Amino acid sequence: MTDLLVAPEDMAFREEIRDFVATHLEPETRRKVSLGMPLQREDFLTWQRSLHAKGWVAPAWPAEHGGPGWTARQRLIADEEFFRLHTPPLPGFGFKMIGPILMRFGTPAQQARFLPRILSGEDWWCQGFSEPGAGSDLASLRTRAVRVDGGWKVNGTKTWTTYAQYANWIFCLVRTDPEVKKQRGISMMLIDMASPGLTRRPIRLMDGTEEVNEIFLEDVFVPDDLVVGEVNQGWTYAKALLEHERLGIGGIGRSKHLLGRLEEMATASGRGDDPTIRKRLTEIGIDIMAVESTTMRLLAASERGTQLGAETSLLKIRGTEIQQALTELALEIAGADALPDRESGQGQAPFEAVVFQFLNWRKLSIYGGSNEIQRSILARQVLGL
Amino acid sequence: MIRFDAPSEEALLLKDTAMRFIADNYGLEKRAAMLAKPADAVPAHWTEMAELGWLAAPLPEACGGLGLSPTDVLPLLEVLGAGLILEPVSPAILGCAATIAAALPAETAADLLEAMLAGERIEVLATGGASATAPAVTATWTSGSWTLSGKAPMVVGGAAADIVWAVARVDDALGLFRVPADAVALTGFRLFDGQTAATVDFDGVSCTEDQLFPMDDTALVRGTEMALLARLAEALGLIEALYRTTLDYVKLREQFGRPIGAFQSVQHRMADMFIHCEEVRSMVQLAAEAMDGAPADLRRQVHAATWVKLVDNGRAVLRDAVQLHGGMGMTDELIVGHMVKRLLMLIQSGGSREDWLSAAAPSLHNSREAEALHA
Repeated sequence: MTDLLVAPEDMAFREEIRDFVATHLEPETRRKVSLGMPLQREDFLTWQRSLHAKGWVAPAWPAEHGGPGWTARQRLIADEEFFRLHTPPLPGFGFKMIGPILMRFGTPAQQARFLPRILSGEDWWCQGFSEPGAGSDLASLRTRAVRVDGGWKVNGTKTWTTYAQYANWIFCLVRTDPEVKKQRGISMMLIDMASPGLTRRPIRLMDGTEEVNEIFLEDVFVPDDLVVGEVNQGWTYAKALLEHERLGIGGIGRSKHLLGRLEEMATASGRGDDPTIRKRLTEIGIDIMAVESTTMRLLAASERGTQLGAETSLLKIRGTEIQQALTELALEIAGADALPDRESGQGQAPFEAVVFQFLNWRKLSIYGGSNEIQRSILARQVLGL
Repeated sequence: MIRFDAPSEEALLLKDTAMRFIADNYGLEKRAAMLAKPADAVPAHWTEMAELGWLAAPLPEACGGLGLSPTDVLPLLEVLGAGLILEPVSPAILGCAATIAAALPAETAADLLEAMLAGERIEVLATGGASATAPAVTATWTSGSWTLSGKAPMVVGGAAADIVWAVARVDDALGLFRVPADAVALTGFRLFDGQTAATVDFDGVSCTEDQLFPMDDTALVRGTEMALLARLAEALGLIEALYRTTLDYVKLREQFGRPIGAFQSVQHRMADMFIHCEEVRSMVQLAAEAMDGAPADLRRQVHAATWVKLVDNGRAVLRDAVQLHGGMGMTDELIVGHMVKRLLMLIQSGGSREDWLSAAAPSLHNSREAEALHA
């Protein structure tokens, strides 16, 4: 299937990716990724530095800002290969979120200061959007910034901040004008995690990890030159992200990677030929094929000049549904072999992380705009309801 | 290599003409009048369809066709599916004529197909057996002529056929017999969606040497795959038409003082219907491009995967189309019910989903992928 969708001229490109991964990915990191185990800061950063040295770390960035100048098609191929070859999925808060926002709306000084450090890994960005009272209804956020001499004083709480423990910068949406319609009074600010008044509380999840955090801001000072674009335009900037590089959100590589692991699990459990398991694997394989061919069809349309809009939400919805179905099938295959705690040392390969991944991947249909929100976006923006 | 190219100008032109023709000739009342006629009546618009180029479109130019690629035939077939036509375009052209074009030398095929492409005749293919390569009909040579035996129980489009081509086992090979309809026992009937079909009994039919044409498996496979693609394309057209009709309806139908499309439960259901359509569109396009762009085994697997997706998504769409139309969706007075029956007929015509699922399985273990996974 994949071979059918790769042009002869892109075969060499794919080989280049494979060769690079084969020589640069640490075996221990590969093992952890292949088992779906949690990754540490250094696991990500070591891989990031290898990619950076090669010039591949930010596939979607334009060459002038240090991107590799790949086509959208090459980006999809690279994305799939990286997943399939068990490389660490680098968090996108720098590359996919604040980086592109700064390229489009930031000052030249902000771009010069921050963009190179995103590529190198010197800066690790986290995202301060959600709040305890503002999740899907993000525009009702209440973190407040008030004018002070030379900048702003910020008070409030941010939550679900992924990998804040590794981050030295956070980009936040804050309310700068409480008098106007809720979307209009929001600004985007760049905040140093070492700022006085900023504290962090890790949130322990049911899967045992602490990958998300709460961030408390008490009279945190943000100088004027760290406001992105214009004051009160933050909502517009955050929404613009929706138009940026969305073809990859189906996570084809991620799904294929897990489908391959399930094949191994089925064999390991002695149920490789069980017709019920085979049937489910085939059904999910077909579902992946449908998302992959839809991705390629939309890509072809965009290469012909069609502006893609909210229809890419369907890739997020179906992609995450498939991935969650895969984690459920993994539970089915593992059965009671999944019982030992991940930290107990008593888990049986390859089932050690099956429960962990099932629990952890509940997040896929919640974050980045829950699947319910994505369906509402489709209904409103594509169907005109 | 599959590129998801846009359809050609020619393909879009055919589609536009078809949409106009359907709008003018296939209103519910006109269609009801056609359905009131006996199953074996000559269908109303066969000659016009020939004149419009629909019959010639998918066939090679050397055989008198227009030479459109499988991908470029999709838009026309989608319109014909959604338009609920009662003429047997898909079975006669993509099932029968495509097989003849693949089996016989171009000149012979051109001669034999000329009358059908001119709209003067309807010819269909009777395969019938448990599988295409194990046909129901057998031929034996006795005293200077061929005698056929066997029965094809379900020849779609065959009720008003002038010629029935029988795929027959001849010794250890396959052969194609060209049999005039008045030489066989042919019983026409309607399928539950209104289309016609026939039971064709070949027992005791005698054929001369020159009614037999040689055929190899490859030609039969090509014809079978073209016929499958036609059904996939028609089903895609129907799925999309059901989606659009339902979307229009939920915007207009008011309850509790507002359009029902303003309610979130309806919105999310419509979003799912949109997703189901998009997935089927991608897969059908993939299946069409695979016709000329993929090796045989991979092509079979892609087609099987596409059929499974059609069954799953098609059933979901037809369920939701009726549900969101409420009681009106169940009447004979709205186009929805007619579309639902045609889509259901197409899905049922493929037989067991389980069989398609098994046929799709190896595509997921293509050696290249397996190698990468275990690298």
